[in-house]
Amino acid sequence: MTYSLPPDPKHLSRLEALFAKIHHFDGLSRETLERIAAIARPRHFDAGQVIFIEGEPAEQLYLLERGWVKAMRMSRDGREQAMMFMEAGEIFGDIAVFSGTDYPGTVVALEEVDTWGIPAVEFMALVAQDTALATAIIRRLSERVLHYIGLVEDLSLRNVEARLANTLLQHAETRNGRLVVLRRYWTTFDEMAVRLGTVRDVLSRALKTLEADGLLKVEKQEIILLDPPGLKARGDL
Amino acid sequence: MTQGLYLYSDHNLRKTILAKFAADERTAFANLRVGVLNGIVHLAGVVTALEIRVAAAELAEEIPGVRGVVNRIEAPGAPSPARTVYLNLQNKKGNMDE
Repeated sequence: MTYSLPPDPKHLSRLEALFAKIHHFDGLSRETLERIAAIARPRHFDAGQVIFIEGEPAEQLYLLERGWVKAMRMSRDGREQAMMFMEAGEIFGDIAVFSGTDYPGTVVALEEVDTWGIPAVEFMALVAQDTALATAIIRRLSERVLHYIGLVEDLSLRNVEARLANTLLQHAETRNGRLVVLRRYWTTFDEMAVRLGTVRDVLSRALKTLEADGLLKVEKQEIILLDPPGLKARGDL
Repeated sequence: MTQGLYLYSDHNLRKTILAKFAADERTAFANLRVGVLNGIVHLAGVVTALEIRVAAAELAEEIPGVRGVVNRIEAPGAPSPARTVYLNLQNKKGNMDE
């Protein structure tokens, strides 16, 4: 057994709701859920607080229940780069836990955040016992590898304008007869730049170019796609 | 050469910094968190006074092999721990983010 106390019923119901949001974890059995609930501890962070720092031993992985967090990493030359923005239903700190290394980046809370911290040693013991959990993790990690293969391909074959055009078309929806991308898909320009594997200045120039060419219009809460076929052609470059 | 590199490994630098914090009365009981990656020290935690926060960064920076210090320690009057930080690593001294 990896735990001695039964899980708190309140914790169990919150984790049950959270697991329903976590892709690959939604099919785990009640027994697995109870085992995780027995070792998970709720942790709250205020906006701006540090959850973990890069180069610190990875002693916990985190399930994000509420709020947005940002992962960032400092380059060897002292420049900080945002790596990822995550919302409720995401898991973070797991790669370092699985690889037995230090955290590769720093994670901070962008707003009021509720997480569940799971001690690395206990979680790994659980994975060793529970085939369904191990399989869920393998599938999750494999999906992430495929995502990065796609990103590498995109970075090597397409320029920022093309990647931006494709991303906008992927997230577009029809509102009041217009094709738009709502702000919720890219809370900040930093976030959008991270998604495209670039930096804000380059993204800003790409947006201005596409806007000057009459393909889109940037507004405060949305981006209006004025010429979808034109954007598609730009995305194929 | 190998020994020199080993002495300045991130793991060793972290151990040295933690020992230094434990030996200094200003930081000994502050329960500070320390991470080191590529010779750059990252500090976090919560302290009651700005002086402790500054002292921690200075103690870390004094250690040979430390290339810079990112200070995300929370203290009254301190900047946000979540701010974006750029270090000027060209300078020989003063590679702190403030």
